[in-house]
Amino acid sequence: MSSRRSFLTRIGAGVSTALASAAVIAEPSKQGKSDDSPVRVAQLEAEQELRRLHRSFEQALDAGRTDEVVALFTENAEVIFNGGVFDNRRQGISRLYQSSKTGTRMEPAPGFVVAADEQQDSVAVAEDLASATAVFPFSIGVSRLLVTETSHASMARLQGEGTETWWEGGMYKVTYRRDIAAGPWKISRLEYETLSRADWRSGRSWAGPIAPALFVATYPQDPQGPDSLV
Amino acid sequence: MAMQIPMHRYEYTKLTPVQIRQAMRATEDGPSSASAFTNELNGRSVRIVTQDGPTLEYAFNSNKRLTVSVDGARRVEAGYGELTLNQIVFFSHTIPGEQRGYNVYIDQGTNLVTVFEVWMSSGITGGTGANQYTLDDREVQRQIYFGHVDTGQGTPAELHKFTNRIEGKGIYWKQDNGIETLEHYASVTNTNFVELTRHTDNLSWVSTSDYVEADVRHFFYNRTECEFSGIHTCFAMDLFSMQQVGVRFGFNENDELEYYMFRGDGKVIGQLAFLEPFDEYGRTPMWMNTDGETAKGARYSYRPVRTFTWMSDAEVAEAAERNTSAFGNGPPSNGDGGAMAANNMPFSDMLVGREFTLRFDNGGPVRDYRVNDVYQLQYRDHADGTWRDAWYRAYEGDDNLAWFGHILEDTNPRAATMVAVDFTNGLVTSIESHMGTPYYGNETTYRAIFGVLEMEGIEPPLYTRHHLTDELIGHAFSWSYSDATTSMHLYTSPNSMSWTIFTANQTMGAQWCSPCLYVKLRPGIYIFCQNEEACNGAQMTELLNTKITRDCGFSFTGGANGVNLGLVGAYGRHIGQFDTRKYFGPNRGSQA
Repeated sequence: MSSRRSFLTRIGAGVSTALASAAVIAEPSKQGKSDDSPVRVAQLEAEQELRRLHRSFEQALDAGRTDEVVALFTENAEVIFNGGVFDNRRQGISRLYQSSKTGTRMEPAPGFVVAADEQQDSVAVAEDLASATAVFPFSIGVSRLLVTETSHASMARLQGEGTETWWEGGMYKVTYRRDIAAGPWKISRLEYETLSRADWRSGRSWAGPIAPALFVATYPQDPQGPDSLV
Repeated sequence: MAMQIPMHRYEYTKLTPVQIRQAMRATEDGPSSASAFTNELNGRSVRIVTQDGPTLEYAFNSNKRLTVSVDGARRVEAGYGELTLNQIVFFSHTIPGEQRGYNVYIDQGTNLVTVFEVWMSSGITGGTGANQYTLDDREVQRQIYFGHVDTGQGTPAELHKFTNRIEGKGIYWKQDNGIETLEHYASVTNTNFVELTRHTDNLSWVSTSDYVEADVRHFFYNRTECEFSGIHTCFAMDLFSMQQVGVRFGFNENDELEYYMFRGDGKVIGQLAFLEPFDEYGRTPMWMNTDGETAKGARYSYRPVRTFTWMSDAEVAEAAERNTSAFGNGPPSNGDGGAMAANNMPFSDMLVGREFTLRFDNGGPVRDYRVNDVYQLQYRDHADGTWRDAWYRAYEGDDNLAWFGHILEDTNPRAATMVAVDFTNGLVTSIESHMGTPYYGNETTYRAIFGVLEMEGIEPPLYTRHHLTDELIGHAFSWSYSDATTSMHLYTSPNSMSWTIFTANQTMGAQWCSPCLYVKLRPGIYIFCQNEEACNGAQMTELLNTKITRDCGFSFTGGANGVNLGLVGAYGRHIGQFDTRKYFGPNRGSQA
């Protein structure tokens, strides 16, 4: 407890210059929980920080900066995607994002817009300011290496392709941790809750529903596969 | 003397850096040339500044000697050769004592320059893990720099640039030394070429290439015969006058170091459509690949044999005993299509209820068939008289024309037959395939045999037969096997072809080649068969119906997991045609 108090104290001191501006943000909560404590302010700041972190995650994925993406996760983080668990301790997250264009943002497939009430985002920061959960909507492209040993596939891989691609829409369910000593928030668990899938890619004139393409094999049997199955 | 051993089967000497350095001494006096050198640069000093590359300070003397300082280093003296093409001055030289040189194109009208630095013994590695490899020292590397002649006016706003304007074009070139080449630029990063004066069989080959646009009519080009001799050809072409000036540098198949300049005259032989977006101009070269060749000189080069595991005939036979599969040894199931047959033509029941005999010519096999099921048949080879059961798949490739395939059971090496039976004309063709070539147990060997159909109600012809054909030569079709797998087949010569993989925006990218054969069944209906030799050993045998632009057929492969007869089939598009049939075979000589 003493260490936590100490931390809160430091946060309080550290954010003192931000309190004035944060007060505007904190104001509405006075009407609710009358929560204008330094903790609440720190929570609000953490919320903003987590939203920035999520934007960084999406931007790094879009740009193919896999190392940056992986650096946003804790060492023991897990990504749950399409029936597979990608374990950062076994380079699973790097494998997931490095071997394909999975996760890059794209417009929803025509006719497959995720309902508005399913696009609400939220961030909840724990009072101890060491953990948080969040929900963000996603509309992404998913790629998976073609399962074939043809020269066609190997040549395509050599030029960065050789994948099946489709669109998915849904919600990220994210858990964050903050290593108090190190400071920055990191993602400790990221689950893709897919609500809709379509056989579609940019430039195409039609889209159709496709069946879930869950992983059935783990790495290394599936070179792009997860470390375990859900 | 022309080569008879195909380039992909030739055992090129692993020349060492010491051997190469020794041979390079002969280049220190500059290249040779059948045409007279020009003297445009005599007595001049030129400082070339390149973007992201070296600064080259030249002084040209009157006796085809120059001195050069690279990035301010000590000047060295070397012999050089020079040829002009309109306002373009092209010169080539090596650096004495080193294994590198420069091919430089100066546009005297704009003072823009493109520099090709070339070198050997690169030490470049590629691949990963167990598949890591080091490039052969004899393989010429290149790095391209765009720049300008320093006139004190600063860097021009626009330099020479990479382009896709040559993509899809084909040119016949005849050099001043008699060498004739058909060059199909059916990719932004490769060339498929036929050296008509170099190989006895006129097979076509694929080499990694770059395409540079100097202005509306002048382009710079190079190709390196990676995975073959490693020799490098680099030239400027004027597409108004259809002339070229260039250089050939590197070791040929006889380990002779070629270093000569040339002039040549060309003729456009055709233009394929290119399918990328209209606002894609090919400014960004497709060098980057995922195989680790990212150092200076990086380029796209497919090197399949480096990861193709050699197996003996006995090993493949043992694997075949453990597992021989024809279409999963069962009726169709979900997922049969896969990456190479999702767009296949439908299976046909047109053989069901029929009994017939296929009698092939020249003492070839005679086989009786009884077909009572849409996926299983019985056949009996007259050689042993034993009825056997086999899983098969049949298509109706054209009206009343069956196209089916099955494993020849109990064979060693494991064999398969893919048969076209023309129930209208009484003609049959079989592609007879078996595992093993003189080079790999896990490659396939194939041949086409011709004969007749014997059955009640058919009067087979005595003389008429299906036959090998050159009708497809020069044509290009894209084949979409599934939504994720489309390649363009270019039927380049009577016994070879190339396939090109489209990039994400449908630019023609990765390319490789193989021997093949073509059979004409009816007007517009063909069998095409190729084995990806020195690649993965896989055979593809398809019936092409150009009336509906579809193909359907079979894959035949073998390896550690056994032998498999599978399916291929695709939607096609006709991409264009090169007018090249006249350059091949008995027609040769009429091209003028």
